[in-house]
Amino acid sequence: MLRVKAGDVDRMGLLFERYHRPLFGFLYHMLGRSDTSEDLVQNVFYRMLKYRHTFTGEGEFRTWMYHLARNVLADHVKKNRHAKHHADVADVAEHLGGGAAADAGLERAQEVATLHQALARLSPEHREVLVLSRFQEMKYGEIAQVLGTTEGAVKVRVHRAMHELKSTYHRIEN
Amino acid sequence: MNCEHAKDQLVDYLSRQLSDAEQAALTAHLAECADCRAELQATQRLWQNLGAVRPPEPSEHLRPEFYAMLASFKEEVKATPDYSLKGLWQWWLNLEIPRPILRAVYSLCLVAVGLIGGYWLNNKPAAPAGEQEQLATLSAQVKQMRQVMVLSLIDNPSATERLRAVSYTKDMSAPNGKVVSALLSTLDNDPNVNVRLATLEALAPLAADPTVRLGLVHSLPKQDSPLVQAALADVMVQLQERRSVQPLRQLLEQPNLDETVKDKIEQSIQTIQTGRPAAPQSSPRHDQTRTSAQPELAATLAV
Repeated sequence: MLRVKAGDVDRMGLLFERYHRPLFGFLYHMLGRSDTSEDLVQNVFYRMLKYRHTFTGEGEFRTWMYHLARNVLADHVKKNRHAKHHADVADVAEHLGGGAAADAGLERAQEVATLHQALARLSPEHREVLVLSRFQEMKYGEIAQVLGTTEGAVKVRVHRAMHELKSTYHRIEN
Repeated sequence: MNCEHAKDQLVDYLSRQLSDAEQAALTAHLAECADCRAELQATQRLWQNLGAVRPPEPSEHLRPEFYAMLASFKEEVKATPDYSLKGLWQWWLNLEIPRPILRAVYSLCLVAVGLIGGYWLNNKPAAPAGEQEQLATLSAQVKQMRQVMVLSLIDNPSATERLRAVSYTKDMSAPNGKVVSALLSTLDNDPNVNVRLATLEALAPLAADPTVRLGLVHSLPKQDSPLVQAALADVMVQLQERRSVQPLRQLLEQPNLDETVKDKIEQSIQTIQTGRPAAPQSSPRHDQTRTSAQPELAATLAV
């Protein structure tokens, strides 16, 4: 990214190849909509180009990227306040299929589907920390940088989120 | 380690957030606590299933769209050099300043503009120094003109005009030598008593000037009117002018001197010599000493 900042804009392609999937995943989990998430991926990469001078090189590129992604997400939510924030649970369940869920037994697939629904029902704050720590496999410290808070606060939030997820999961199951 | 603490750490353990020491402590606890092992299993299953929740693949449009965007961005960057005015403006637009600060800065700017404007408007009328200069030259010219007028009027045959000239000199703040000498010669030579009296009145305030004093003293013997004689004697008393004693004595020797004037002059000489200010019973003011001036008064009216 430092080379992009120095003017080598073509290097952005490399970053795109490496990061667009995780980024898309994050946005997808936050929004529940595939098409909008793709638009926002574009948006995030555009902002990275435009604001490349704000990347200091301190801290990881990934942290900076998610920081921008959160801003884009917040703008999007603000713009579509009246629109439905999250896709229907049914819609989410529909997207399931393929991947690990298919390999496992039917029972497991069912569990995963239920869990996906439960995840979709969490508050955005809780969903966010879970997505970042589980899917992006980020350390608490890193997440704290993205959210602009302390490591301790992130830890507490992850625990609460897990607790909420569990109870929501059981509620759906029964 | 107790169970509560251990259960708290299960998520951290699964997401590999624990330090080596913490992990070792937790494993040790798990080895001996069946309850926590069960909890771990449940959480682990949840965690693994959560990992299995996969977002769909992004569509195949995403990649070409990105490269198209990158290409157009490159064009844009080429079109605008880094440090152009437009770039600066762009940077300014992109600068994310919190709104309250922006508002505060705007209002401060407005206040500053108001202050500067008010200050500027306030100071403006005092500025032109040229006008004041003009005013000064104009007033100097008026002064000069007055002097010329006084000098020409004072030679006028009409007593009224001469009176007017003398009264003009009273308005002058500092009459120059010419005017003073003209006044002194008027005091000595003017045929009209009223004009001489007015001249004396105009000269009295200028007595600080030694030439005026000397002129007054010298004019004493030249006066023949009792009114003017008495008035001059009064002025001498006021000025405490010792040089006037000699001419006053000479006056006393004049044969046709008025009796009242004689008394008055004797009194004045005494006051000047003793150095005391005039006694309360001393002369009334010269403009009131009319007692024995009947013939002179008649002459005055005839002019």
